[in-house]
Amino acid sequence: MSNSSEISPPRLPTRFLRWFCNPQLIEDVEGDLSELYAERRSKSPVGAKFRYLLDVMLLFRPGIIKNIELKNGLIHTAMIKNYLKIALRNALRYKGFTALNLLGLIVGITTSSIIFLWVHDEVSMDKFHTDGDKIYQMFRNMKQSGKETRTTWTIPKPAADLMRDEYPEVDRVVQVSWPIEMRFEKGDDKSDEVGYFVTSSFFSMFSFEVLEGDKNTALDDISSIMISRSVAEKYFGSQWKDEAVGNTLKIDNDREAIVTGVFENTGSNSTLQFDWLVNAESFFKENQWVDDWGNGSFRIYFNLHEESKVPVVADRIRDAIKIYAAGLDNAGDEELVLHKFQDYYLYSNFSNGVVDGGRIGYVKILSVVALLILIIACINFTNLATARSSRRSKEVGLRKVMGAYKSSIGTQFLLESVLLSACAMVVSIILTYLLLPSFNQMVDKTLTIDYSLPITWMYIIGIVLVVGLLSGSYPAMLLPRFNIISSLKGMVKQTSGSALMRKGLVVFQFAISTFLIIGISVVYKQLDYVLNKDLGLNKENLIAVDLNYELGERWETVKEEVNKLPNVTAVSVASGNPLASNRSTSSTNWEGKDPNVDYEINIMLTDKSFVETTEVEVIRGRDFSDDLADSTSFLINEVAAELMGFDDPIDKRVSFWGIDGRVIGVIRNYHMQDMYESISPLIISCIAPSRSDVALIRVDGNPAEVLEQTEQILTSLSSSYEFDYNFVDQAYAENYNTEFLISNLVKIFVVISIFLSCLGLFGLSAFTAEQRSKEIGVRKVHGASVKHLVLLLSKDYSVLMIFSFILAIPFGYYYAQQWLDGFEFRTSVSIGLFIVAGLITFMVGAITVSFKSYQAARVNPVKTLKDE
Amino acid sequence: MGKYSIGEFEEVVMLTVAILYDDAYGISIKEEIEKRLERKVSVGAMRTALNRLEKKGFLDSEFGEATAVRGGKRKRYFKVTPLGKKVLEQVMETRKQLWDSIPSVAFDFKFA
Repeated sequence: MSNSSEISPPRLPTRFLRWFCNPQLIEDVEGDLSELYAERRSKSPVGAKFRYLLDVMLLFRPGIIKNIELKNGLIHTAMIKNYLKIALRNALRYKGFTALNLLGLIVGITTSSIIFLWVHDEVSMDKFHTDGDKIYQMFRNMKQSGKETRTTWTIPKPAADLMRDEYPEVDRVVQVSWPIEMRFEKGDDKSDEVGYFVTSSFFSMFSFEVLEGDKNTALDDISSIMISRSVAEKYFGSQWKDEAVGNTLKIDNDREAIVTGVFENTGSNSTLQFDWLVNAESFFKENQWVDDWGNGSFRIYFNLHEESKVPVVADRIRDAIKIYAAGLDNAGDEELVLHKFQDYYLYSNFSNGVVDGGRIGYVKILSVVALLILIIACINFTNLATARSSRRSKEVGLRKVMGAYKSSIGTQFLLESVLLSACAMVVSIILTYLLLPSFNQMVDKTLTIDYSLPITWMYIIGIVLVVGLLSGSYPAMLLPRFNIISSLKGMVKQTSGSALMRKGLVVFQFAISTFLIIGISVVYKQLDYVLNKDLGLNKENLIAVDLNYELGERWETVKEEVNKLPNVTAVSVASGNPLASNRSTSSTNWEGKDPNVDYEINIMLTDKSFVETTEVEVIRGRDFSDDLADSTSFLINEVAAELMGFDDPIDKRVSFWGIDGRVIGVIRNYHMQDMYESISPLIISCIAPSRSDVALIRVDGNPAEVLEQTEQILTSLSSSYEFDYNFVDQAYAENYNTEFLISNLVKIFVVISIFLSCLGLFGLSAFTAEQRSKEIGVRKVHGASVKHLVLLLSKDYSVLMIFSFILAIPFGYYYAQQWLDGFEFRTSVSIGLFIVAGLITFMVGAITVSFKSYQAARVNPVKTLKDE
Repeated sequence: MGKYSIGEFEEVVMLTVAILYDDAYGISIKEEIEKRLERKVSVGAMRTALNRLEKKGFLDSEFGEATAVRGGKRKRYFKVTPLGKKVLEQVMETRKQLWDSIPSVAFDFKFA
């Protein structure tokens, strides 16, 4: 204790304490701490050090920390206080101007915040799985018609077995079925639920939360089932936690399944959406076809022991199908490729076997729109602030006389704009709150502002700083440069540079708006084209009614009964909606086919009235005939005829699935997929109408009545039948839901961007009118008419508008063309489109400017000239 | 609560300063509170309270002698000012009034 160096407390905390502590307190506080330290040290040296540190940390609080309020000399808090006060006074003095400024910022920030929320949600899809970035999914590239490649995620089951057995690099393989609907029953309750058959290691790969049951073993038994929380609540009430597990549900009318687990509802940020899970073995057992290398079945997900082995595995698996399926009659020219599971949501389009965008395109478009809108809002601010700078010239002059540095005046204006953007941010957050519910409804999402995420705060603070600094930087550079004497006289002449800058910014703003208008018009034109294009069959007034197995077997009765209904002109049964064809085979053979090349050809199984019902045009040969035995006659489409290379296809021998037949006619191509896809070759056969899944009904008149009567007929024919139908044209339009959604969104944002640009223009023309008020007065005295003056004031801006239009054209053309290139069938970008876009912006701009000009021109010249 | 408002902890600190009279400096106050109230007091919390009370004029302080064990730093001795005394009395008075206004049956828990 006598040696003072021995008892001196730890250095680092002491230095920290000396740094932050109020100098008036430091001596005594430090003394107290040393005394305590010495006392504690005698008990435990280590503990004393720790507690010393702890005490120092606890002292780091207001009241102890040195006073940075006043007279410190390092930070000019007094000046900052003054800046704030002046900013507030100025804001209140020019209320209209402040409101204009704030409004622009608020609209801009709110819009971009909502878009960024959407983007964030899109990007975070499927990202919640632990080690999710290490999950890979297998895809199958199928060569079509020799030239194009179609990519699918249905993979032959033996590929999964192969990976498990012979690939030492592979850690886990999980197979997941396509979404399957099953009928659930318990007592009187019944419902159809969609879910997956999965292999038992599903939960060890995907991090879905299991609420009840053991996630490692719950799926082991093939008679067991796991259900989602919502299904559990539906069948076991609020007590599901106790009752669900161990109970049984009747499934698909014929078997009992024991509930072995309940998992949390899959939620909106997962692409895997399911309400039940059953062990895949039970599916494999009943469906022997899955064991064939030629048949695609479940999705395959896997991960590896070592991430670096991905290329090795990819190399090895690529040709597996070719090797193992060789010689099978349904073998195609196919490759297996690997992609990251998490990327699939945003990058789900494949073109020729290679990933080619997907939703990421929309994410990018909207991000760009959000950024553009934010930039427009910033430009507004800059413009208005510079335009109004002469109002502040006396203040700047006085500050300079009192010895203010240029830099401190710059700081003042930057601070002011950051402050304003912070205010705008606060209002925007509230607005976002209010607008989110309706936006959610529109995009079918559940977006919320999550304040627990650090990224939210980073965004809020980041936007405030970026918007504030960006929009304030030009005024902050310009204002301090004012000449002291002239600014004190209040005679600051706007330099031609700053006027040019403002005009440039306006041009830029309007160029962005014009660009957005061009973009949206192209999207609309394309959608219009797609929906009204002649698809090769008549999709209006055509209803597709689902059939079950039983009704398929009794297809003749179905047809006969439905045909009798009034307003029904034709009925045909078919294996699917003709505009969403889903059946294809690579086992097709024909006269003169190169035996070494395989082609994937679509098959439509139907009856003899298909052509009559869909109004497809037979361009060569004849339609199926009721009088002839046509069960092994085929119709083919033009693409197929060309592919098969027949000069005259009629009567040529063609076979598929081992069925031999002859071509009796060629039909005009009709679209079997959306417009992103080219038309595939097609064979239409009426060999097995009993395997039909839908009845196509051509109606003439009130479809509601027909539907009602059809339902009666069908339910009387099959007691277990659930009536379901869709209109073929509506189902087709649904292919473009995303496009509709995006175009609606962009439309809103276009309006917002125009609004913002006009706001800037309005402010600017108000400023010009004010600056030229004396000139206007003199002109009026000399007899200028109001009309003449409005024209005079608006003229300048018309030139700006034309500039912005010219600037927007090349960008608009380039990007519109790029987007259209994604469609196999597309409309053209026409000049008319640009002219319309230009006219719209010009009109809106002209109205804005002349409104303000008119006001200025109406002022009594006495008012403006009296003080000269 | 009258003209002056002080927190419960501030009141404890002031009373302790009064109790210690001639020997009221940082550590002694802290230890006294810990001893009497059987609760932990951090140097930070106490220092802030002392500082605040001094600013309000309820406490007064002066430096004492330096000692080796304090690394050559002087002690700062605190004293309750007349104003502080008034505040303490006022707090006590208010409490007393409140106690006096409680009807006798309120605390009669026999039949509760």
